[in-house]
Amino acid sequence: MFPTSNESLKVMSHCVVGFPSLEENEHAIDGLVAAGIRLIELQVPFSDPVADGPVLVNACVKALARGGSFEATLALARKVSRRHPEVTFVLMSYLNPIYQYGIPAAIDEIANAGIEGIIVPDWPVEAMRPHLPHMEKRGVAPILMVTPNTASTRIAEIASASRGMLYVVSRMGVTGSSTHWGEEFQIYIARVKKHTNLPLAVGFGVRTREDLQALRGRVEVAAFCSQYIEWQAELGSERAAERMAQVVQSIHAA
Amino acid sequence: MISSEQGLFGEFGGRYVPEILRPALCQLEDIYQQLRSDENFWQEYLQLTQEFSGRPTPLTPLPRLSESLGGAKIWLKREDLNHSGAHKINNVLGQALLVKRMGKQRIIAETGAGQHGLATAIIAARMGLQATIYMGSEDVERQYSNVFWMRQLGAEVVPVSHGSCTLKDALDEALRDWAASVDDTHYVLGTACGPAPFPELVTYFQRVISQEIRAQAKHQIGALPNAVVACVGGGSNALGAFCDFLDEPSVRLLGVEAGGRSQQPGQHSIRLQGDLASPGIAQGYKTLFLQNRDGQLGETHSIAAGLDYVGVSPVLADLVARGRVDATSATDSEVTHAFQLLMRYEGIIPALESSHALAGGFALAKKMQPHEHVVINLSGRGDKDIFNIAQALPQQEWLDFLKREVTRTEQRLRESANNPNREEQYVSNV
Ligand SMILES: Cc1ncc(COP(=O)(O)O)c(C=O)c1O
Repeated sequence: MFPTSNESLKVMSHCVVGFPSLEENEHAIDGLVAAGIRLIELQVPFSDPVADGPVLVNACVKALARGGSFEATLALARKVSRRHPEVTFVLMSYLNPIYQYGIPAAIDEIANAGIEGIIVPDWPVEAMRPHLPHMEKRGVAPILMVTPNTASTRIAEIASASRGMLYVVSRMGVTGSSTHWGEEFQIYIARVKKHTNLPLAVGFGVRTREDLQALRGRVEVAAFCSQYIEWQAELGSERAAERMAQVVQSIHAA
Repeated sequence: MISSEQGLFGEFGGRYVPEILRPALCQLEDIYQQLRSDENFWQEYLQLTQEFSGRPTPLTPLPRLSESLGGAKIWLKREDLNHSGAHKINNVLGQALLVKRMGKQRIIAETGAGQHGLATAIIAARMGLQATIYMGSEDVERQYSNVFWMRQLGAEVVPVSHGSCTLKDALDEALRDWAASVDDTHYVLGTACGPAPFPELVTYFQRVISQEIRAQAKHQIGALPNAVVACVGGGSNALGAFCDFLDEPSVRLLGVEAGGRSQQPGQHSIRLQGDLASPGIAQGYKTLFLQNRDGQLGETHSIAAGLDYVGVSPVLADLVARGRVDATSATDSEVTHAFQLLMRYEGIIPALESSHALAGGFALAKKMQPHEHVVINLSGRGDKDIFNIAQALPQQEWLDFLKREVTRTEQRLRESANNPNREEQYVSNV
């Protein structure tokens, strides 16, 4: 289940399938759930992830060498979605692995694996449109992205194709570096809200508790991804999950 | 002349980019559409290529080699004589005019052989722009002379050391930079690939090659050539050479890909022939990619850094699918042989990329009649390949020279460390 509008801030976190290894992915997800995370992106590793920064690019390279793939993502999703029915799993991928699988078949398998939504940064709304009815039928929510330089008419168009939530890219650039949540950001969020009632998920550059405090009360979801993968790479999945638990607590505490 | 319906060429092309890049591509598309129908703009472009790059480049007959091979008469279109040594400058000059109109202050580029990076660094210096060039770390090593020049010209060269460390990874990195900098930065894409409008835009500027071949052939041969041959990395020099002959069915058009070491995965860059490559969507567009069943783009190889790209121009993919352009390939060793032939018979030192076109063109010419004419597009000159060639044709003399040069350089560095005010400092302190 996706959050509803005006709910308190939820943290979404991340898993690059195959990184650090396929076996560890399962434990890492158990750890995230224990830490209180209820929204998890399963990223299909890709050889050319153009919307990602160095942390996720490097994780993708390693994940591919360790057996990460679209099929492996489905297999992992089947296991963890059954084990954690309270968690919403979202598939994040670039278009090519989905395209090679065959788009309609891929949507079916995504649904069968218990995945509730997809985020595909290089799948523009006009190219996705012919497939929207099938996604609707199978209950796979297309979560599209808007960015600070997206024109208002296009925000409306993207929002009307989206389901579940709308992914709000916080700033210009790829995943991983930090963001300022000043006045400009507030104006941007207000502009997006004019065009949709969908819950908003803000991503790209959410890395600290301060970032979460800044987003609390403004949007429904904060995507805390690159920083988590960095912790995972440096400290191991267990310690990374402990840090995520602190992150989740910090937004309830304040 | 090619032109697309919404950036599509048959089933290929399109614009599959993260949302953040869309406005910049739409802006570029608008400017391109305006200028495309503006004859004055084309004249401004031609003037720039004449004044800065040395156009028109000659059409050179190869009498000794043609006679020795015993087939058709062979001609070279001399893109190697452009300033900076390759056809890449044509596109860079054209895009520089667009940058001027857009008022942007910074340009970025990806480069394989370094010729596109060099051309970009040159135009940045001339126009007073900031330039960042992304280059696979493996290509940095293979084409170091170009890296050296780009840096001396004031450009920042960023080695990309993940993935396959070659051209495709440099392209990814340039797209990432652009996503963060679209407001003040133009991405000077170096070949007829990537999201719309780049494939069409780059072809539009390279078209100057076939316009000249056409006029020169009429004058020097008295007729259109029977065949035009070009190497294919991304496809920009090939499309440039083919463009004005697309509606001339009597002119055979042949693209030559890198056959590398073998047709095993990772050992070549053959995308247009057989089923080694398949349709895919990546790096912002749909084309034939070397990839696995999971849609992961594959490794490639070529002796020529500028040809080991994993995709290919959607315009060419479509022309081959429609049967208008033929494709063949040349292996690393065939390429080295063709390279030597041209040097020994005609006194011209070709780029390793262009030597693929020579290998394919020579093989074709042999099968043709003496009254027929083949034009091979010599996309670049071979100076940049001196280290690669020296390795391919190992000689004690070269090794001895390198050792002496290392000793001399070490000595100079020691001296300047002891005496920081020496005049060598001058170059970096401009
Ligand atoms: C001399 C030369 N020829 C050919 C190429 C291949 O590019 P394209 O296929 O776009 O012409 C390159 C690319 O770096 C090059 O430097």
